[in-house]
Amino acid sequence: MAEQHTLEPDDHAPTTGWVGASVLRKEDARHLDGKGMFVADVIIPRTREIAFVRSNMAHATLIGVTKPEGHAHQVFTAADLGEIDHLTAGPEIAAFRNTVYPPLAEGRVRFAGQTVAMCVAGSRAEAEDLADQVGVDLDPLAVVIDAVDAMKPGAAKVYDSWQDGAFMTSAVKGGDVKAARGKAKFSVRRQFKMARQTCNSLEGRGVLAYYDRRLDELVVYMSTQGPHVMRMALAQCLKIPEHKLRVIAPDVGGGFGGKNRLTPEEIAVVALARQVDYPVRWIEDRREHILASAHAREHWYDITLHADAEGTFLGLEGEVYVDAGAYSLWPVGAFAEASMAARNLPGPYRIQDLEIRNFTVATNKAPLGPYRGVARPGACFVIERMVDELAHEMGIDPMDLRQRNIVTAAELPYTTVGEMVLDTGDYPASLRGAIELINSDAVRARQKQGEPDGRRIGLGFAFYTEQSGHGTAEWTRRKSRVVPGYESCVTRMMPDGTVLLLVGIQSHGQGMETTLAQIAAHELGLKPAQVQVRHGDTGISPFGFGTFASRSIVMAGGAVAKSSRQLADKLRAIGAKLLQCAPEDTTLADGQVMSGSGGVSFAEIGRAAHVRSELLPEDVDPVLEEFATYEPSVSGGAFSYATHAAVVAVDPDTGSVELLDYAVCEDCGTMINPLIVDGQVMGGVTQGIGTALFEEIPYDEQGQPLATTLAEYLLPCASELPRIRVKHLVTPSTFTEYGVKGVGEGGAIAPPGAIVNAISDAFKETGAFFNTTPCTPRRIVAALDAARDAHSSHEVGA
Amino acid sequence: MRIQLELNGDRTRVDVEPRDILADTLREACGLTSVHLGCEHGSCGACTIEIDGQVARSCLILSIAAEGRPVRTLDGLAEDPVMQALKQSFHRKHALQCGFCTPGMLMIARDMIRRHDRLDEATVREGLAGHICRCTGYVGIVDAILDAHASLSDRHADSQADNQAGDRAGDRADHHHETRRAG
Amino acid sequence: MKPSSFEYQRPDSLAAAMAALAGQEATPMSGGQSLLILLRMRMTEASTLIDVSRLPELSASSLDQGILRIGAGTTHAAIEDGLVPDASCGMMARVAGGIAYRAVRNVGTIGGSLALSDPAADWPVCLLALGASVVVQGESGERRHAMADFLTGTFTTLLEPGELLTRIEMPALPTGSRWGYAKLARKHGAFADSLGAAVLPAGGDPRMVLGATMEHARLLTRSMEALARDPDLGWDVLAPILRDDIAEADPNADAYRLRCHVATLRKALLQARGY
Repeated sequence: MAEQHTLEPDDHAPTTGWVGASVLRKEDARHLDGKGMFVADVIIPRTREIAFVRSNMAHATLIGVTKPEGHAHQVFTAADLGEIDHLTAGPEIAAFRNTVYPPLAEGRVRFAGQTVAMCVAGSRAEAEDLADQVGVDLDPLAVVIDAVDAMKPGAAKVYDSWQDGAFMTSAVKGGDVKAARGKAKFSVRRQFKMARQTCNSLEGRGVLAYYDRRLDELVVYMSTQGPHVMRMALAQCLKIPEHKLRVIAPDVGGGFGGKNRLTPEEIAVVALARQVDYPVRWIEDRREHILASAHAREHWYDITLHADAEGTFLGLEGEVYVDAGAYSLWPVGAFAEASMAARNLPGPYRIQDLEIRNFTVATNKAPLGPYRGVARPGACFVIERMVDELAHEMGIDPMDLRQRNIVTAAELPYTTVGEMVLDTGDYPASLRGAIELINSDAVRARQKQGEPDGRRIGLGFAFYTEQSGHGTAEWTRRKSRVVPGYESCVTRMMPDGTVLLLVGIQSHGQGMETTLAQIAAHELGLKPAQVQVRHGDTGISPFGFGTFASRSIVMAGGAVAKSSRQLADKLRAIGAKLLQCAPEDTTLADGQVMSGSGGVSFAEIGRAAHVRSELLPEDVDPVLEEFATYEPSVSGGAFSYATHAAVVAVDPDTGSVELLDYAVCEDCGTMINPLIVDGQVMGGVTQGIGTALFEEIPYDEQGQPLATTLAEYLLPCASELPRIRVKHLVTPSTFTEYGVKGVGEGGAIAPPGAIVNAISDAFKETGAFFNTTPCTPRRIVAALDAARDAHSSHEVGA
Repeated sequence: MRIQLELNGDRTRVDVEPRDILADTLREACGLTSVHLGCEHGSCGACTIEIDGQVARSCLILSIAAEGRPVRTLDGLAEDPVMQALKQSFHRKHALQCGFCTPGMLMIARDMIRRHDRLDEATVREGLAGHICRCTGYVGIVDAILDAHASLSDRHADSQADNQAGDRAGDRADHHHETRRAG
Repeated sequence: MKPSSFEYQRPDSLAAAMAALAGQEATPMSGGQSLLILLRMRMTEASTLIDVSRLPELSASSLDQGILRIGAGTTHAAIEDGLVPDASCGMMARVAGGIAYRAVRNVGTIGGSLALSDPAADWPVCLLALGASVVVQGESGERRHAMADFLTGTFTTLLEPGELLTRIEMPALPTGSRWGYAKLARKHGAFADSLGAAVLPAGGDPRMVLGATMEHARLLTRSMEALARDPDLGWDVLAPILRDDIAEADPNADAYRLRCHVATLRKALLQARGY
């Protein structure tokens, strides 16, 4: 990655405009001074603190709750919270088994950590004291902890009335996999597991709610990725008219998907705020986050890849199990997970014969939600591991096998068997780019030479595509309860010619206060410093869905461009009158409407539009404010893609892995701000490395989570990581504004595949099979031992 | 009970209970919300402050135990030249996204720069152990620290004092390979 | 994740601290870097915390006539930075620098770590390898325990309620001695899966120690005897002896742990031998 040429938001505009410039972020200054404003930083006088009482059993009948003597008025159970309409959450599919997830348990608890009661006191410590004294009478029930076992006949059930253990069973089918099987020379069958994780945004969840008498509205500060949709759901379940409910997402300390679901704690806190005359807040601590925030991943696969004698892929079949936990989180839980995994399993390869049965299974664990990459880290891990396994069986280089099967630039747009239309790019070029960037020849030479300390060097690759900016077509296909088909923007010019953007999107680290300002500045001939972005507050911005699914730069960027262009037209109309020329003869630059040698400043236009309407053209209304919604003309998604390359050194005695190098050759179309794109990619890669090597919430037989702190749930730090290197290819999308594609999730998708392929490569000749993330030292040693045992028993047998 | 803290150069009186944690007192009683709580068990580094001139995790210190000891948070370092250089380089190197880990990162970065005359990438990465950033992938943070260190070294090329600590620490970085390999 | 209520006292002398510890159910706290985590998670309770972190009697260190004395209240960082005299040929500074994170090392103390006796802690391993003793202040005055006796189990030592570990004493390692120290953990600062130490004193008998066992750090006596007989003993001969030692030191370890132990001890020995 070359040294970036950066610009400040108040620098002179580049000749090509602001789109494409590495503008340094406008949001940095407040955070660098420690003046960010996160939910826990919002001080409202008289606020009382909440601590939740949680189930310590994974599955039990809730017989009763005993409140500590003298403190009954500070303890609230489901019965004390007033009327709540339980939200229906999950896809709108007839076969989907809906469940009720009460904010505080009613009659049954279904995972260790489920909220049972809430305690209110002057400080969090006192609230926790109370929580310790609340008696929870539970009668244990049989526990379900394994999604595959849960589907076997006679297995214990999370829901008594269900015929089997699945929320949903379906299949993704295309072509004729039986025929493919018949033609195959090679049929490689493998099983894989990707562990349960949680997003671990550094700021956990948090809610502060109070009734504002002056405005006659309930104000909810909430650490969320989508305040507008959260308001909608809260209003619905708590029966508060939406115009009297205001949700504000102030600074949000990371989300990564987990904060894109409405969780019971949030509902309970707002429900309580309806009925008490003091502000209440709950700030999630890390233990609660790991225990009971939206969990993620936990997939199990049994997959067979069929190929002919030359290694041409013929078909893919098998099963996907998703361990969805006990409930469905509004709006759609984790119920796109299994079918998305199935649809993405063919990856970028020419595979038209597919049959994947998928099961989304209920277990006695915290409910699953989305996490950066949603389903695709699992799918990519499996297909990319399968490619390496097949290559190994055939005795050829996995990258040659990829080149043989990957869709070429000439074949794009390419409709996959999962009915996704891969739009633009050059996938083979990305494979080559990664080989070059990681310096494959040098790694191979080092590998051949051997390490003086006995460690083994491995090189691995993985390719993925990332559906981004998808709208109505894709979300209706998924039967989503909420169809995030657009984003919205008001571009408002003030009387002095400066600009406010009011957007429905929400930014929590993605730098949209900068990139959206860049887009408006680009369209209006301003500097980003002259554009302020307002987001995250239902009280001031138009409706929008928020940030998830790699959609923001496509959707919100498009909305900003569209509304800003509408404003530009109006500025030109007014400017033309003042300049006494035709609007067609004007341009916008340097904060002015220009025509020939003359120009009129936005401040003059702003003055005319706001306080001197006699100066306006007859057919132009006063005030400079334009609203637009935007959805790309193709709503199935624009596909970013990348090849990741990893180099590892593994100690064969202890299984310890050192990641020596990591490189990414990616293409997300036009980059509005390359600096920010790099940050998104590297941050995503680091989370993917966490998935690959470190992060896991295991459960014991009783359904107790074995990781509840960061001493057990390991997150990678700088000390565990190499310098991540990124190279960009740029193939603009043909149907989005500026040709952009989303890039938020991609980084997190490929690391499990690339890294475990690298570990596998390090031990290629042993026959060891690495099939589980995180690929821990213990698992590596176990795989090596298993291979050794298999080998020796084979020898004995022979 | 009422205790006196020497907070960012000022004497501040606050009411505390024995069980109150310094991070909470700084945030709730003193309004210093630059002190962020990411884990409350010493693993994430977001609450890093300085006490007695040394960096510490304010989630693992009792407020009452800090009585009479100088405490400094990011808020109290606005005029500090090392901190100013760091803020500038964090901005230029895109070393922050959501901003939640940033105050802690800046505090540990300042400590690293002050304790090392020579600073290389391996030393910085090791020094960032136990500081979690979930957004950036750390590349910007590492670069920003090296960059600030270099700019300050240029500025103070003539006045390199007290470099013994730096040499020791640099030496240590070479020797840490066992744990690096432990991955 | 806030602690339950407790009382707090900060005596200003050792005598006052002993009095405070004697009269009630009191828990001494030094840096508190482990204790506060346990209190926050309400995994342990304390009725009164006696803050001993500022006791002058616990802060002094000296190297006198070949005996190093380190006050129990000395922080890991002070040792890392060489602010106390070194009598370990640099081993203690190196070990100190690998404990948790700098911000923790600035507050946590060597005495607090020994008193807690977490099986995965570094100091018991290092000090056992260096042949150190601890000095305990009890009701009837001071007494000394060799490290090997002092460590009795998981989070247990010979310290009785009301007593305080006041300092560490050890004979200076002769100049020219060599040592090795290896830690295996899944990430920096994480709990160790294995800790291995080897000390080859100039003119003295080798010492090898295993830590991060299920119980507490142990001297590996068979290996030490074998190395005493033949300091250049090859790995092939030593390995089975070490394995026997390891099996005894960590009898409940699973196969993976055992491998880790072999690896750290091997690494420590290689390092000590200068490879």
